[in-house]
Amino acid sequence: MQPTRRDVLQGALAVTAGSLAPVANAQQTLNGKADACIYVWLGGGAGHIDTFDPKRRGDGKDIPGSYYDSIPTAARDIRLCEHLPRLADRMDRCALLRTVSHDLNSQHGAASNLMHTGRKPSGTILYPSVGSLVSHELGPISDDVPPYVVMGYPNIMRDAGFLGAGSGYVYLTQIETGPTGLNPAPDVDSDRQKRRQILLGRLRADYLARNDNDAVVRAKAEVSEQGFRMAGERFMDVFRLDQETSTVRESYGSDFGQRCLLARRLVQAGVRFIEVSFNLNFMNGTGWDVHQDGILKQHLLIQDLDRALSALLDDLERHRLFDRTLVVVSTEFGRPPDFDAYGGRGHQAGAFSTLFSGGAVRGGVAVGTTDEIGKTILDRRISVPDYFATIFGALGVDFARNLFSNNRPVPITDQGRPVAGILA
Amino acid sequence: MARMIGAGILATAGLSATDAEHPVRVRIFEGQPEEQWLSPQGAPTSEYAEPALAFVRIPARFSRNALPLDRSTPFSLEATMVQRLERGEYRFRLRSKGLAVFLVNGEPLLRTSAQEPNRASHDALPEASVGDGSIRAAPPAHEDAVRRVSLDGGEHHFRLVAVIGGKGLAPFPGELSVSIARNGEVDRVIGGNDAPLLIDADWEQYVAMSQRRHHFEDIERRRASDDLVKDEWRARHRRVRAWMASRPGPEVPASSDVGSVYNDVDRFVNAKLDEVSIAPNSIIGDLAFLRRLSLDTAGLIPTAEQVEWYLGQSPETRRPAAIVRFLDGPDWADAWVPVWQDILAENPGILKPDLNNTGPFRWYLHQAFSDGYSFDRLVVELIEMEGSLYQGAPAGFGMASLNDAPMAAKADILGQAFLATKLSCARCHDAPFHPFLQKDLFGIAAMLRGESIALPASSTVPVREGGRQPFVEVTLKPGELIDPHWPFDEIAAGMAAAPPPRNTAVDSRHVLASMVVSPANQRFAQVVANRVWRRFLGRGIVEPVDDWSGASAANSDLLAYLAREFVMSGYDLKHLSGLILRSHTYQRRPMPDDPSAPGDGAKLFAGPLRRHMSAEQLVDSLHAVAGKALDSEELNLNPLGDRELRQFLNMGTPRRAWEMTALSNERDRPSLALPRAQAVVDLLSAFGWRQSRQSPLSVRDDDPSPMQTLALANGSTGTRVARLSDDSFFTRLALEDRPLEEMIDIVFRQALTRLPTPSERELMLDLLSPGFAERVAHSDSDEFRTGRPDKTDRRVSWANHFDPQSTLIRMEEERKVRMGDPPTSRLTADFRERFEDMVWAVLNSPEFSVIP
Repeated sequence: MQPTRRDVLQGALAVTAGSLAPVANAQQTLNGKADACIYVWLGGGAGHIDTFDPKRRGDGKDIPGSYYDSIPTAARDIRLCEHLPRLADRMDRCALLRTVSHDLNSQHGAASNLMHTGRKPSGTILYPSVGSLVSHELGPISDDVPPYVVMGYPNIMRDAGFLGAGSGYVYLTQIETGPTGLNPAPDVDSDRQKRRQILLGRLRADYLARNDNDAVVRAKAEVSEQGFRMAGERFMDVFRLDQETSTVRESYGSDFGQRCLLARRLVQAGVRFIEVSFNLNFMNGTGWDVHQDGILKQHLLIQDLDRALSALLDDLERHRLFDRTLVVVSTEFGRPPDFDAYGGRGHQAGAFSTLFSGGAVRGGVAVGTTDEIGKTILDRRISVPDYFATIFGALGVDFARNLFSNNRPVPITDQGRPVAGILA
Repeated sequence: MARMIGAGILATAGLSATDAEHPVRVRIFEGQPEEQWLSPQGAPTSEYAEPALAFVRIPARFSRNALPLDRSTPFSLEATMVQRLERGEYRFRLRSKGLAVFLVNGEPLLRTSAQEPNRASHDALPEASVGDGSIRAAPPAHEDAVRRVSLDGGEHHFRLVAVIGGKGLAPFPGELSVSIARNGEVDRVIGGNDAPLLIDADWEQYVAMSQRRHHFEDIERRRASDDLVKDEWRARHRRVRAWMASRPGPEVPASSDVGSVYNDVDRFVNAKLDEVSIAPNSIIGDLAFLRRLSLDTAGLIPTAEQVEWYLGQSPETRRPAAIVRFLDGPDWADAWVPVWQDILAENPGILKPDLNNTGPFRWYLHQAFSDGYSFDRLVVELIEMEGSLYQGAPAGFGMASLNDAPMAAKADILGQAFLATKLSCARCHDAPFHPFLQKDLFGIAAMLRGESIALPASSTVPVREGGRQPFVEVTLKPGELIDPHWPFDEIAAGMAAAPPPRNTAVDSRHVLASMVVSPANQRFAQVVANRVWRRFLGRGIVEPVDDWSGASAANSDLLAYLAREFVMSGYDLKHLSGLILRSHTYQRRPMPDDPSAPGDGAKLFAGPLRRHMSAEQLVDSLHAVAGKALDSEELNLNPLGDRELRQFLNMGTPRRAWEMTALSNERDRPSLALPRAQAVVDLLSAFGWRQSRQSPLSVRDDDPSPMQTLALANGSTGTRVARLSDDSFFTRLALEDRPLEEMIDIVFRQALTRLPTPSERELMLDLLSPGFAERVAHSDSDEFRTGRPDKTDRRVSWANHFDPQSTLIRMEEERKVRMGDPPTSRLTADFRERFEDMVWAVLNSPEFSVIP
């Protein structure tokens, strides 16, 4: 596959080559019933062999294999890492894509970009992120709620690309500081904010009155009012996690769990796409990028993920959001079964796992098989465009539709087709 | 003053090597074999004097056309000094982050070891060095070598040799120094009378002075290094004028009756308006004009001093006087660099090369605009791509990392920038909407490369067996060789009045550059004139400015006139700008940019289009209003210096918004965050600044959006600017002994370049009158705190960013940035908060960011 710099073909149909995973037929693909997506990002490259695709044990030195034991799950024939016991109980609601594959092995930045945009960058076009595409295609639920929220660092892979700033995101890096731009400064309480609004309202109205025939001035004044509506009490309440019972808060666990809880609240408030980054690197230093001694405490990350993700799935069900919310757990690549000189692991882009749940996703399914040490694909290679088409399909977004960058037609995925068997 | 005295660089006649204030003689040696690193041989490439054996910055080297050059890495720095000492026991301290040796009277006394390059980024965070409290602690990655010796009385010869940079290391000296102390005394750096004590306050002052001095001396030396080249360009401009003389320009129309006229620009514009019987707009007021002029020529709103000076001029002469002042002002380059960063896709990355990263040739652009290069010179030097790759010369323009056809990318950029010819589509196939073949783009690319280019397999549209035929034409096959050639029949490849010959290497670049800037190629001057026009008037005479295929000029005589003026002036951007700025056409009330408005008024320039500030103008203006410097870390993820510059560029600490860069945290790691810079980047990004410029762009997507409102109103930068900290302009104002009404007037004039309306004045009087008389509070300190009290922890570096401590340190710094500058304690909290609310409301008013 050469997904870069290839011209984009109108209404292109994918050609299914021998080793590729079968894809769903056209009728099956647009029946997704989810209208929101929580994209859990395990930045750094979460090792499938130590999480969603466990194999025989290695020894941390010369014998390749999993770092942990595996356990059975609620889905027959699917086993998970021993540090995912809660998720194991919920596998009947989750599907695994175990043979996602690409060729960007060495660079985190490039691979992360690929797993956000579905394309390798080209110098002539800036591709939008999945979050921008979803919020662009589904549109905002209301003008007062931003359609796309990122919990993580702002960077180009999350950007709107040629869709323009209007399809961008608001972001937060820490829950307590809130989303950048939406929260007033820490020393501005609601009384003071009201006082400011009154002053600004007067200046704005006077200025508009002096220039009432000017479209730029009108637009400026309008977005000024609209912005403050977006940052209004109603939406900002979403970020007050203390409105939840302590039972709920505790069920989600640590800081990453609290981000997942916030994601659920954002879905309730009408946000279309929420990316939750799991980048709590103070736990083991490296986060999921477990080279060298980063692997020693990797189990803490896995346990944290287990707890938070399980709580999220349960909580979405409890709030009757499960059927309309697609949950995807993704990463830029997996890790090989072999160990480096210090007992950690390198990168492996040729075969790795992602997890789908919620919406119309069929539970208890694992698509694709890797060999006995998770190194190579035995059947059903899943390309990155097919992975993204599966996401768009689950959200009812036409993954083959052409968007336009200047005059150039750019389909939402690069000839991707949803993976068969995932969507009910 | 440190003084350059020697070989390799222009000697400055009449200055001796050393003097009482600058007793240290420094020589830089490059390209030494490893065994000579500590005893360099041959001729030094630079020679100068310093006040002391303390080095934080090495002078730049320039080519004969004033381009910064890279030094070899490593290079050796040798510093010598003779000093008379009394007999006795002395303690010497050599502080270095790399291999260095210190000799007394030829005897090696102290030695530090070479810095280990980092390879895996799994190092532990270095311990915070606390020192013993008496001297400045050694910074991270530095080593102190200390020894006591007894010396006889008399003259002693000191010699330091340090090896700077090297494989896997950044080529910076860190805090290299040698100091001396007698028993019980504090270390003093060896040097003249002004040598600093090795304590924080002295050292920091010395560093600030040294940085400033080297900065200005580099500029001075740069400007003196290319006299011959300047003569060559002047000669070229004479040839150009001679060539043009026989070719008449468009006839200037007689004045019409529709509108007032200042110069020929107005005559051309009014004639067109006359044809459709549209009257031009009236002229804007004096202060509104000043604000518009300042934003367009300095990139930010006018200062209080400028406003006062302006109002002090007689009403008849103040506008022309202001135009002269701003065209010659120090911020001219700051106004233009960001425009060309976009057009030329300047895209340096600070964390390992990513797609289409370039070198930081922003510094060359700044140099070209601030040193007044003719525009043809700028273009030719860009195309020739020489000088330092990573320290800001045009070589950096020639770079496109991870791109398998970098020169095709550059050909596209140059085509859009200077010929308004968009070749992007031709990257992979023949352009469907333009008359270009893929061969055309690669023909220019081959000229840039200096040899034929084989079409990369990735630059094509694969046609699969049995697959659908692509809807675009592909006439080249992967691997096919394309020879260097000029592809544009309709754009004359004239070679009249060739520019000065290039220095070295690939001649076809010079040929290409000559074709682009040839006066026979009228397209070039028209495209540049049209870009300048659009920048000042908000709309091009031809639209879009970067793609003229199928486009027509709204006023072709005006365009031809401007282009001719530009060429005849010797491609002088200031001459062209002055023509436009002086015209009544520029000085009129803005056209309401309303698509539903009837008629051709906007298209024919009955007034400039209404514009709003660019992201950079907004950020710079906000800081100027508050009297605060931009707040940012050094843009460098390798402060320990144990990685190569090639992978971790050091972009310095930004002074103006255009100096910001992509923070490149695709890895999502808190330890790689730069929270202070991020706060500025957040605001810039919301207003349309691109943190990554993978491809060229002439017009930004920066229409008003609710996120802009919020980014300014609530973001950390907006919060900091509105905060009355000790170092805020508004704090000093509020403490002055003046009536409240005057203070309100000053706030409005400072921020909006106008006085408040009666109702605005009343609004603010109501807000601030309570507690005004009692506003001054007792302060715990006489000293006004400046800047941010919390310093960035410079131990956190790529080498140790996986250490959990590094993550926690940066997360804590993020929290502090969110808190903003500490509020002043000189005002009562209640009054201060209300004053802040006034400032906040004025800065967030839509009026602030709309250009009058």
